Amino acid sequence: MSEAVAVTGGPGAGSSIMGIDEVGALAAGIVANVETVIAGKRDAVTASLTVLLAEGHLLIEDVPGVGKTMLAKALARSVDATVSRIQFTPDLLPSDVTGVSVFDQSSRRFEFKRGPVFANLVIGDEINRASPKTQSALLECMEERQVTADGTTYRLDAPFTVVATQNPVEMEGTYPLPEAQRDRFMARISMGYPASADELAMLSTRETKSPLDDLSAVVSLEELRSMIEAVQHVFTSQPVKEYAVDLARATRDDRQLRLGASPRATLQLVRAAKAHAAMHGRDFVLPDDIDALAVPVLAHRLVPTSRALGAHDRDAGPLIDAIVRRIVGETPVPVGSARRN
Amino acid sequence: MHPDDRPLSRAQRLALTAASFLLVAVASMALGPLISGSGWWWLCAFIAAGTMFGGSGLRALRVPGSLVPLGELVILLLLLTLVFGGGTSFALIVPTADTFPLFGDLFDGAQRTIQQQAVPAIAVPALSFVLALGVGVLAICVDVLVQTVRMPALAAAPALVPILIPGFIIESGAEVWALVFSAAAYLLLLRVDVRVRRRANLAGGDDDERAATVVPPARVPAASGLATTLGLTTVGILVATVLAASTPSISTSLLLGTGSQGAIFGRGVTPFIDLGRDLRRPEPRPAFHYFARDNDRPYFTLLTLDRFEGAAWGVTESPVDADNTVDALPLPDGLDGEVEAKEHPIDIVVDEVRTTWLPLPYPTRSVEGLSGSWFWDPGALTVRSVDTDTGGQRYRATWLDRQPTPAQLRSARPTGGDDLAPYLALPDDVPSIISETADTVTAAEATPYDAAVAIQSYLRSDRFEYSTEAPVEEGYDGGGFEVIAKFLENKSGYCVHFASTMAVLAREAGIPSRISVGYTQGTATQERVGGVQRIEVDSHDLHAWPELYFEGVGWVPFEPTPGRGSVPDYSRPGAGEAAETPTPTPGASSGAPSGRPELDPDRGLGASAGGSVGVDGWWWRGGIVVLLAVVVLIAPAVLRAAQRSGRLRRIRRGERPADAAWDELVASARDLGVRLDATATPRGAAVALAEREGFREPAAAAALLVLRDAVELERYGPGRHADEASVARLAGALSTARAALAVGEPLAGRYRAVLVPRSLVDRVRPAFGERTATGA
Repeated sequence: MSEAVAVTGGPGAGSSIMGIDEVGALAAGIVANVETVIAGKRDAVTASLTVLLAEGHLLIEDVPGVGKTMLAKALARSVDATVSRIQFTPDLLPSDVTGVSVFDQSSRRFEFKRGPVFANLVIGDEINRASPKTQSALLECMEERQVTADGTTYRLDAPFTVVATQNPVEMEGTYPLPEAQRDRFMARISMGYPASADELAMLSTRETKSPLDDLSAVVSLEELRSMIEAVQHVFTSQPVKEYAVDLARATRDDRQLRLGASPRATLQLVRAAKAHAAMHGRDFVLPDDIDALAVPVLAHRLVPTSRALGAHDRDAGPLIDAIVRRIVGETPVPVGSARRN
Repeated sequence: MHPDDRPLSRAQRLALTAASFLLVAVASMALGPLISGSGWWWLCAFIAAGTMFGGSGLRALRVPGSLVPLGELVILLLLLTLVFGGGTSFALIVPTADTFPLFGDLFDGAQRTIQQQAVPAIAVPALSFVLALGVGVLAICVDVLVQTVRMPALAAAPALVPILIPGFIIESGAEVWALVFSAAAYLLLLRVDVRVRRRANLAGGDDDERAATVVPPARVPAASGLATTLGLTTVGILVATVLAASTPSISTSLLLGTGSQGAIFGRGVTPFIDLGRDLRRPEPRPAFHYFARDNDRPYFTLLTLDRFEGAAWGVTESPVDADNTVDALPLPDGLDGEVEAKEHPIDIVVDEVRTTWLPLPYPTRSVEGLSGSWFWDPGALTVRSVDTDTGGQRYRATWLDRQPTPAQLRSARPTGGDDLAPYLALPDDVPSIISETADTVTAAEATPYDAAVAIQSYLRSDRFEYSTEAPVEEGYDGGGFEVIAKFLENKSGYCVHFASTMAVLAREAGIPSRISVGYTQGTATQERVGGVQRIEVDSHDLHAWPELYFEGVGWVPFEPTPGRGSVPDYSRPGAGEAAETPTPTPGASSGAPSGRPELDPDRGLGASAGGSVGVDGWWWRGGIVVLLAVVVLIAPAVLRAAQRSGRLRRIRRGERPADAAWDELVASARDLGVRLDATATPRGAAVALAEREGFREPAAAAALLVLRDAVELERYGPGRHADEASVARLAGALSTARAALAVGEPLAGRYRAVLVPRSLVDRVRPAFGERTATGA
């Protein structure tokens, strides 16, 4: 009962480009499709779809072998988008990501060979293995949504979403993303190990072939673009905006945090919340949407003080998640009238 | 908000208990101006501490929260038994069947002592008992509010009780410092509660891992709570002040009745006026009774007025000498061996009179059987207590019955010496009528004794009339010189006037004099026990009479008041021969007062004053207290009902109707004890509510969803105006959902929701709650 109350959609259907109910239905289809491959990871799947619909970028941080790449690939296949995958290594060059200008003998001029970044969904595996130079090349594409080579600017096709994975355990020979660059990712999630039942089921289904082979697209690229457009038209009321700002400000004042959330974080929190609302068939954002996304959207941007880290019990889960949850719990939800808008 | 919702740690409970105890102890200090000494406060503090910390112990033993108040009542009973149970208890603290009548007696005694004592009252055992009981009950109320109901803000209501009481009784009300300290203790309690609550919230939140990691934020959101608290406290103090100031009619006399009830000379203040009032009471109250042989009918002296305070008679107040214990009193001044004197034992049982002066015949040689500490005053040989009163006393006084002959008195040597000078002192400006009267009456008399007899005869002559009313009507009540002068003109008055006039005239004639205040010999009954007669003395036997000093005999009483008491044999004109004056015999003076005027002033007059007013006063007082209590009790329910109807109006008028409906639903849930934080999102609150039994019903769940979706859309959705249909739907959904809320709730819980609506308290401290972080 309670779950039904928590999940079932709210009232109203807006008159945007795509009906908000349709957005919800399509999103549910995508989630169901991805879940045929990755079982028991509803939160991770939902979060990654949210990021896709909000035109953000996703950072998946977890130990190897839990299905980070699988999730990214399954998502790409489900939406019938172009996918490319970059395996980052220390010797990877920026041009290996963005593309390179080569001299065409026949036309006798330089021609730009597009790199793997020219795709709707770019999977950057083990991004922390690449040199900072290469990392920043990718991150620039992420922010600008364009590539500039030899004075020519090439726009990246929309939708454009980077799903980067990062391995937090293996630290040798890696270049962890600096805070400024982590800020470019809309959300960070971690997969976590599967439940034993899911792991057992996986053993039986993947003995012979990759499950990705059977995965077909449930949404066309056009439909995806319409969904993204619909998400942009989701209504955000003044109280909800105030709430997002309050949360961000609270992180900046918190005494357990050395670095709080940036204004970009506030912006992306609201954008992600819009996508989250739309996915649940609602044409306006609730504070609950903000609450649900606070940890994925905010946690990776915050830096705790060393004192808080020292006092933290490692068995109790990530410190930063606990801090965000506490701030969410302490920040009152504005109840003001939507008509003030 | 159920006691079990957020289990507090032992230390937290203890901190709350300590803060609550402090509040009760400090608030009860406000009674200080009403009661003398501080022993009563220590006793109350002991009882409160025992009760509250006992309750804390019970909680530590995991006794169910609802049973703790009962346990505290039991502890209170045990403590009261320990302190007041005396011999009736079993193993010192366990009350037996005999204990409860004893408590009943103490309770009655307290009522009487409240009627009879003046402010500040002496904390006699009965009064201490009632104080201890009251503070104990108060402590339990505060404890229940703080720990069981978890609404420490409401603890102000019981704490205000001791603060308000002085305002009803004395004009100045409670002392300012008591108010300030009480307010401080209240704030401390709220502060402790906020701390405890925040810790409990952090520790008992959704996932326990946070407890170890999350440090409370530096920014304390208690500022708003503190402001509210300060506001509440201010309002409380204002209400107390306004109540105290606006109720002059129920000030002094009504609650304690010091005026009309005739306190028996509580502090030695204007005993004459008080005596007059007592005499004018329509119904006498039994004062005491005694057992004596047939002819042993002395007057009983309470206190002696021997000097002038300005122009009025007063008591020489001397500090008590701890050596002057009553097991052996000295021989009276001036008595020598020639006068025949025999000792007679008299058994006295006090009925209702409450005073710190012991009624004793003069002179008494010893007193046995008293409880408490009693000491005699040198000179007057009156006996008074420092720690108790006459309530419930039963004692044997050995009376020295002197039987001087007129010859002995007549031959008394002229008095001299400094010792007696004070008894001859007169103010300088004695009205001329007094000295003229003294000259006229005593001019022909050769000896002081004859002069005294002449004065007595003069006052007892037909020219004077006994009346308790005339002095009051004419405005010369009391015993001052102006009064005596007027009395000598009007020739109408009662014992006070006769006694003080005779004393003054005697001094004018050179005879040392003083006035004794006490009781006449009383009324004999038919009851005889072992050859002695039982004699009843009531408040109408209160009397004042002069005593004159004759060397060799000592202080000798006279009876100048016509129709009262009995004239001593030695003071009759021509004494020693057959009695010629129709003085009433002791027996006659009691049953049928033949010698009294037809309109018997002692018993017949003053129907409008006295007792009836006292009874009415008690009804009044009780009524006001009950009314106040009822107002305090139902005030939350009334406020809550007003709030609900306001929201229903908003729904009907379409002013943010969904918001109003949702607020009402959440408030109703809070009233029933559902733990919803004030800052929960509608969705989070709906999830919590859906867990309740009533919402398993599909219709109820649908109503809940209607309300939730409506409020979400109204608060956060694009502006759409509610139409009439949706308003009607909202109203219907609200009533369905409210009905579903109550499903499965026990009757007591529903009553509590109405009488103690917790949602009101939540409004007071919106910043304290932690929002349930259940997202969409």
